[in-house]
Amino acid sequence: MGIPHLSRRQFVAGGAAALTAAAAGPRPAAAQARRGEIIAGLSERMLTLDPANHYSISSTSVLRHVYDPLVDVTNDDKFVPALAESWRATSNTAWRFTLRRGVSFHDGTPFTADSVVFTLKRVRDNTKLIKSFVYQDIEDVQKDGDYAVTVTTKRPFGSLPAHLTMLGMLPPGAGANEDAFFTKPVGSGPFRFVSWTHGDHVELAANPKYWKAGIPKVDKLTVRFIPELSTRVSALRAGEIHVIDRVWPDMVQTLRATPGVKVLDTPAIEAQRWHFQLARDSVKDPRVRKAVSLAIDRNVIIKDLLLGYARPVVCPVPPGLLGHTNLGQKPYDPEKARQLLKQAGATNLTLDFVLMKDLYPKQLEIAQAVAAMLGDVGIKVNIRNLEIATAREQRTAGNYDLFFSGWAQMPHDPDWYFGQWFTKAGAEKLTRFSDPRVEQLIAEGRVPDPKVRQQKYEEIDRLLWEDEPEIWPYYTVAIYAISDKLRNFEARRDYYVLLHEVGIA
Amino acid sequence: MRRLLRSPTALAGGVILAAMILAAVAAPLLATADPVKPSFARRLQSPRLLGGASAAVLGTDNLGRDILARLLHGGRVSLGLAAAAVALAAAAGVTIGLAAGVVGGRLDDLVMRLADVQLAFPVIMLAIAIVAVVGTSAVALVGVLALSGWVLYARTVRATVLTIRQLEYVEAARTLGAGDLRVVARHILPNTLAPILVIVSSQFATMVLLESGLSFLGLGVQPPQPSWGAMLAEGRDYLSNAWWLATIPGLAISLVVLGANLLGDGLRDVLDPRRGA
Amino acid sequence: MFVVLRVIPGDPAKMLLPEGAPQSAVDELNRHLGLREPLWVQYGIFLRSVARGDFGQSFQYRSPALRVVVERVPATIQLATTAMLLTVLAGVSLGVVAAVRAGTAWDYAGTVLAVLGQSLPNFWLGIMLILLFGVTLRWLPTSGFQGWTYLVLPSVTLAAFPTALVARLTRSSLLEILGQEYIRTGRAKGLGERAVVLRHALKNATIPLLTVLGLQIGTLLGGAVITESIFAWPGMGKLVVDAIFFRDFPVVQTILILSATIFVVINLVVDLLYTVLDPRIRYG
Repeated sequence: MGIPHLSRRQFVAGGAAALTAAAAGPRPAAAQARRGEIIAGLSERMLTLDPANHYSISSTSVLRHVYDPLVDVTNDDKFVPALAESWRATSNTAWRFTLRRGVSFHDGTPFTADSVVFTLKRVRDNTKLIKSFVYQDIEDVQKDGDYAVTVTTKRPFGSLPAHLTMLGMLPPGAGANEDAFFTKPVGSGPFRFVSWTHGDHVELAANPKYWKAGIPKVDKLTVRFIPELSTRVSALRAGEIHVIDRVWPDMVQTLRATPGVKVLDTPAIEAQRWHFQLARDSVKDPRVRKAVSLAIDRNVIIKDLLLGYARPVVCPVPPGLLGHTNLGQKPYDPEKARQLLKQAGATNLTLDFVLMKDLYPKQLEIAQAVAAMLGDVGIKVNIRNLEIATAREQRTAGNYDLFFSGWAQMPHDPDWYFGQWFTKAGAEKLTRFSDPRVEQLIAEGRVPDPKVRQQKYEEIDRLLWEDEPEIWPYYTVAIYAISDKLRNFEARRDYYVLLHEVGIA
Repeated sequence: MRRLLRSPTALAGGVILAAMILAAVAAPLLATADPVKPSFARRLQSPRLLGGASAAVLGTDNLGRDILARLLHGGRVSLGLAAAAVALAAAAGVTIGLAAGVVGGRLDDLVMRLADVQLAFPVIMLAIAIVAVVGTSAVALVGVLALSGWVLYARTVRATVLTIRQLEYVEAARTLGAGDLRVVARHILPNTLAPILVIVSSQFATMVLLESGLSFLGLGVQPPQPSWGAMLAEGRDYLSNAWWLATIPGLAISLVVLGANLLGDGLRDVLDPRRGA
Repeated sequence: MFVVLRVIPGDPAKMLLPEGAPQSAVDELNRHLGLREPLWVQYGIFLRSVARGDFGQSFQYRSPALRVVVERVPATIQLATTAMLLTVLAGVSLGVVAAVRAGTAWDYAGTVLAVLGQSLPNFWLGIMLILLFGVTLRWLPTSGFQGWTYLVLPSVTLAAFPTALVARLTRSSLLEILGQEYIRTGRAKGLGERAVVLRHALKNATIPLLTVLGLQIGTLLGGAVITESIFAWPGMGKLVVDAIFFRDFPVVQTILILSATIFVVINLVVDLLYTVLDPRIRYG
């Protein structure tokens, strides 16, 4: 049994070395020098290296290290220049982007308008790409010299800049042989792609010629995919990785008690939402929906089940985003709920509550808690914890009364959320929601002018708040845990893990 | 029966098993707490048995429910399902095995190929497929469990049939004109009884494990109905801070498996016709 | 299998696209994936492609399914072989010890251990091992696939159940054989105890052992799913389950075909060995 001995010796030797190094005096300040390697442990596997071919928060944040988009979004939801120095809407259906000069891709190709034209046209035209449907409204993309691009759209597309934060720019040469390109992709981002072992990890190396000075702060970045939370936590606690995402509230105490580990949390731009199947007789009556809403004690869920790692909802759109306004919290009043149910004649109600298995933290517990609360006012709840694929089929078929879902605002703009779930066409195979007033407002809210949009969205918020086609029980809180060797890590509200400005001691 | 009592292992196993089954059956009497209703103020309390401060002997789970209550009620579900599955698997497997062994020929080949093909499919995949189509009901669960178990009976019975067919006294009976069915009933079945019983007792354990595995994956009993597998699944996320949630049902399962296996071992020792008195 | 996959509810395009994607996008993607054709057309295309060695493109990874599956093979083989080795070595030795000292405290201890190995949930063992050896003691890495040290914990976890099974089987087979006539004759002849055990008894015990081992391969691959999830081990078990949940038909099909082939081959080998070792059992 030589294994433990060897490791212990190594461990002790390593420990001695560390002590010696520490005793040798403080390290010289490494202000702009790039050093070290960061290893991240993320919960979601990456499925593709093509920024246009996925719609996952995790992949977006990983690929952001390799590709630059035109526009970036900060942690307080401001849109800032990336590869586009500035942009403005020249009309309701046209956007003009002025591009940054002096940027080149990892293979030396200069970044110009050709790149933008190619990337945008590609995602619009190749309908096999996952992001394609977002860009169908683009009429044309015209270059205006080498450093400016005008995008014309079929309908007003006010959320275009927001969507563009998720689309990395590709060199025009990628079109020649896409399959070959994506085995060793080239972007203009702070890190170069080195290798990808499917389902296991991605290796990236610093781009020394990045257009922003002093970035990145480390030589090497490895992103490992560890879907199992306890393993992720263990790896961090054992010092094998430096940062993990998607930590659950129950793990916080254990992590805080571990030396060398810091826990960071921030309210996220995600609202949990339980939507009703509006075509079903059981919940068609708004009084029934209101009763359900009144019967749920959201504070207990936030405080006891999520251990305080959630925030009360005051608007379908989370704070910080365009379209947010404070409408006050929903009350908890089981007595009133019972009255409403009696008024509506719904005394022996049974509701099917469908969950997508293992998708959201503690969803099963929360659902059971809700079932108990609804049971208190006379509503029986059947919890159906289905496999994700099956659950979504059931949703399309309308076989549910209440569906446990969530919406992380990605991109940071409510247009898609409203357009998908609250227009007749969008909701047809989902919640069967249909309200012409809301529909009108959504269309009007697509124009580029943010003041107009804010006004329209606030009206939509009010209408939805009153009608309650969904229950928004809480905003989630994003919890990250990092090794205290990391410097300058920012806990992001959008669940991205961005490491270009992060250094390691 | 008397021979059973002679084997200490069988006795020990039988006692353990009986105790668990009795406890599960008497669940409503033994556990006064509600196994289903959440109580948020009392979440994750450690067991009083180990020095915890709460009133719950085995502690409370993530929704504040009493673990002892859930264990006992869950036991009814898990053990009941396992028993039903074993019965079904045994009935089906023995019949098929007998048919294959006695009739032989093409039927035999067909059955064996079927068994091979089915064994090539991991149970989990079968379970997912079946559940996706039929939904998660107790019947579906029993069906899936039985489906995973019939092969062992079939193969054993068939092998026994094949060996016995060649034994002399069977040949003799045959030449004397006894019909196939008679041969089966008189000579073959009694000889298969012993190995079947042994398989039953150890398979009971396997079924309990399988049920817990399926519930663990969410394909079995649905919440808030407790079952040992579901309790394991719910406790999995709390292993580092509230280890008793998953460990207690795990120990219960272990006890049942221990009992069943001891019983099986003892039975085998006792019923093996080759071992002398 | 082909039909079952497509008949089960679950739409691959829906799984790939985000929750809020419009139905038109779903339909469009399904069209691209070739899923809108009538079933028999799809099957025809599938057969023709497989004949050429083309197993289609994984829906999830947009990479040839065969490549995606084959990438996982080394990891799977490493884990499975190590676990199998552990099982045989530990299981047989434990079984022999228990049989030779039947009825003593060693035997009972062994039984309890075996039962624990069989019944303690896979994930419990895995997570506990990680907590103990990875976090608290820091002797071994907690997860991943980078060197032989990473293999230790996952294979121990995976081997626990089959080892227990093998141990008990070895014990009972040995006991049965040790009690038989010809062994007693051997003993009477004055052969040493160890010779008796090793040469005669074990040889005869290998028959049922082989059958069980052959069946265990299926268990190993299946039980590997949980182990792989916990240890972030990039093997085929996790790939299969992910593929099923994602409705990634090409990958599932590829794996099923591959594993069915392997299984049939292994069982054929076992059957052959069976007939060689015990001339009593001949078919027909």
